[in-house]
Amino acid sequence: MKTLNSVWAFLALASIACAAHTSNWAVLVSTSRFWFNYRHLANTLSLYRTVKRLGIPDSQILLLLPDDMACNPRNAFSGTVYSNADRRMDLYGENVEVDYRGYEVTVENFIRLLTDRWEEGVPASKRLQTDEGSNILIYMTGHGGSEFLKFQDSEEISSWDLADAFSQMREKKRYNEMLFMIDTCQANTLYRQFYAPGVIATGSSEEDESSYSHHADNDVGVAVIDRWTYYVLEFLETQVTGPTSDKTLGDLFDSYDVGKIHSNPGVRWDLFPGGEQAGRSRRVVDFFGNVQNVEVQGNQTGVESLKEDLQGLKRLVQDYQAFAAAQESNKTEMSDVVQRRNLEAVSSGKIRQKQRHTVGKLQLSENAQWARQVAGATVLSGLAALWYFAPKLM
Amino acid sequence: MNRWADGKACQLHYPLYIGLTWDDYDISPVQDLASQVQSLLRAENDLSLYDFYIIADTTTAETSQRAKLSGPGAGGELGEYRGHALSVNVITDPSTKSTSASLRTWRPVLDVRHNPERSVDSATLAPFIASEIRKIYEHENDAISHLLRDTPFTTSGQVEALSPEVKSSLDARRTRAFKYAATYHLTFSLFTSSASPSAWEAEQALEDSIRPLLDRFSSISEFTVDTQVQLLASFSPSIAGPQYDESTREWKLQRTDLSGFVNAAEWPLNPGIGSGPTINFVLFVPSEDQSPLVLAETGGNSWLIPQWGGVQILNPSGKQSEKLSAADLRPVMLTFADQLSALLGLPDSPASPSLRISSLVRERATSLVLSASSTLGALARLSLKLTSIAIPDSVAKSVDETILRLDQACHDLRDGRYHRALENARTAEGEAEQAFFEPSMVGQVYFPEEHKVAVYVPLLGPMAVPLVMAALKEFRKLRATKAKVA
Repeated sequence: MKTLNSVWAFLALASIACAAHTSNWAVLVSTSRFWFNYRHLANTLSLYRTVKRLGIPDSQILLLLPDDMACNPRNAFSGTVYSNADRRMDLYGENVEVDYRGYEVTVENFIRLLTDRWEEGVPASKRLQTDEGSNILIYMTGHGGSEFLKFQDSEEISSWDLADAFSQMREKKRYNEMLFMIDTCQANTLYRQFYAPGVIATGSSEEDESSYSHHADNDVGVAVIDRWTYYVLEFLETQVTGPTSDKTLGDLFDSYDVGKIHSNPGVRWDLFPGGEQAGRSRRVVDFFGNVQNVEVQGNQTGVESLKEDLQGLKRLVQDYQAFAAAQESNKTEMSDVVQRRNLEAVSSGKIRQKQRHTVGKLQLSENAQWARQVAGATVLSGLAALWYFAPKLM
Repeated sequence: MNRWADGKACQLHYPLYIGLTWDDYDISPVQDLASQVQSLLRAENDLSLYDFYIIADTTTAETSQRAKLSGPGAGGELGEYRGHALSVNVITDPSTKSTSASLRTWRPVLDVRHNPERSVDSATLAPFIASEIRKIYEHENDAISHLLRDTPFTTSGQVEALSPEVKSSLDARRTRAFKYAATYHLTFSLFTSSASPSAWEAEQALEDSIRPLLDRFSSISEFTVDTQVQLLASFSPSIAGPQYDESTREWKLQRTDLSGFVNAAEWPLNPGIGSGPTINFVLFVPSEDQSPLVLAETGGNSWLIPQWGGVQILNPSGKQSEKLSAADLRPVMLTFADQLSALLGLPDSPASPSLRISSLVRERATSLVLSASSTLGALARLSLKLTSIAIPDSVAKSVDETILRLDQACHDLRDGRYHRALENARTAEGEAEQAFFEPSMVGQVYFPEEHKVAVYVPLLGPMAVPLVMAALKEFRKLRATKAKVA
């Protein structure tokens, strides 16, 4: 066992990069409704495809789309979403897992998602289950203004809310490093108030500047992609070709061309430990791809010793455990252990243990319903009598 | 709460009760030996987290009776497990050349063979036993002090620097193993690249190989087990795929392909089973035209993905049947069992599995105490910083419960009752998480002053202006009548 694990340790040492993160998550949010905001959903879906291509599984991507462009009645190519006028790649048709759709994309749900404050019973696919070793990519797009972002045309989230949410995540050690990208008008103001460490933020335009769309598709009828996102995607598609690419964030941010983007994108480095220098050296796939340091098992000696071990164990294990429990606590608890063993022995025919909680059904007792009906009828007849007899009494 | 977050509420110290027996001797030389070993262990300061208590036992009718209770074949064995972390059994053996020690595989018993005829041996017996005990607990001491290293719970006496290899292996273990959870969900999946084999005798194989391991771990966590079979599983398009190697006539899988091998998009490995983490074990059977499939760098066929699970490749043998029998699956399940122990964080030394389990219990209890304390600290800082969040009563109750359980866990650790300490620490951690992640504590939207003015002035302004004007008119009328009267 010892040699086996030292082999593993050596390989792990050789493969762990300086960032030392253990998982990758992505939260991709579009915040706009209505058909003419097609491009915001196309932005988000193109990032989704990129992140999937570079290896992050659906279980670690949270996709929030407030509207359904693919099945919108105005969509001439129904069932599809394109981010380019040449319509070569459909972003929506296959293999898409949208976690929050329609009216579920609200400010409250977004803050709950970031801080993981949910009621009982919210499924794991809707939660951001990160830990202290996770790198998170957050991408937001929509209509925004100075220090706010509009959600669903009815509410707004301010940069203070985001800053507080990130600081709560930091307190609870819910991320290792975070890359925050935002493509809206006056985008750079939204990350102005951040104060939690470990965040690199980048936006598409400065204060009092608008972000523009790139081009429109004449058959779809609306603009299909925004400029900043278009050029970011161009970099990602041409330069970051696979999960092992070496391109860094410095390369990505250096590729910003104000002449093409028509607005001034910005980057915020000061919250990152090590500042700009450390941030520029981080690889793009540290945020967009999925880390999986695998440990290859070399020799088989560990397995041999385990085989003998298991054979001996089958004879001794139960008495051992019961004795341990009895020694450490009172005799009454031991009887519980023994009872549990017996129960397990009974149910070991099926290995699976059912742990479902049935949803509590609302029980209406018959009596209560009948009493309520009688009371209602009495009130109604009283009122009718009043209405009928009152003019006669007057 | 801050006392716990600052590490002042509990001094983490682990008492270890070690029984010592020496056959054929009366109680007093055994007690002498015990006190010698204890003073030697206490004098050396390197295992500073532990308090060693060496207790002398002798063979009496009652000990052999207790030994019978602990299992078959225990009649002649002395110093058996009876609430002691370890039992040292000294055997007088005139045939041994020098004193030697061996640790039994599945009982926490250290057999020391000693030849009393040689006078040099009797003087060195106590130091020898002390050094053996130290060797056994050294790794655990390193692991726990590494755990405590950057937390407020370190005391000044524990700042010995660990060597880089030890540190890297401890870090590797920490990144590889799952976080502690009260329930783990294990899934065993069979993916075949072609249409056969289409079934496997998983239940029998699991019962043989995995169930004993799960029983052994049952004092620490619970487990649920699920299995599935998926046919015609294809590789993900982002990996290069197996390459045919002419020289060895094998299909080789490159290292860079291993991380993308599990086709997360196509293969149904949905982790959302229950409240605990899911550990996935994947057995892949390649098709006839792509076998034998091995790994390029080692020629082996299994690897472990940290905090996710393990993958193994089973190359179809000549006689291909539709169903994989339990005999075929036995070596597969053994490898999975090995990977499972690593994924649950079992340390690699000492050599006896039962000692490793008790070491894991101590480590997990410690880490749960640490995490519950830091959650309390985070909650305290949060409630001070974000004044707009309303904190409900249930949070206060959970915090009280957490502190109570943490106190109990600390006492249990001091008393040496590690299983109970683990339970209390687990409850404390659960309550602390519940307090921190209270769903009604979502911060209200931030309202700056300008927003408030912008909302209320148009609302109240049109209503307020006539009222104010009317009030002024009345006031002027009143003053005019007063002036007239005066």
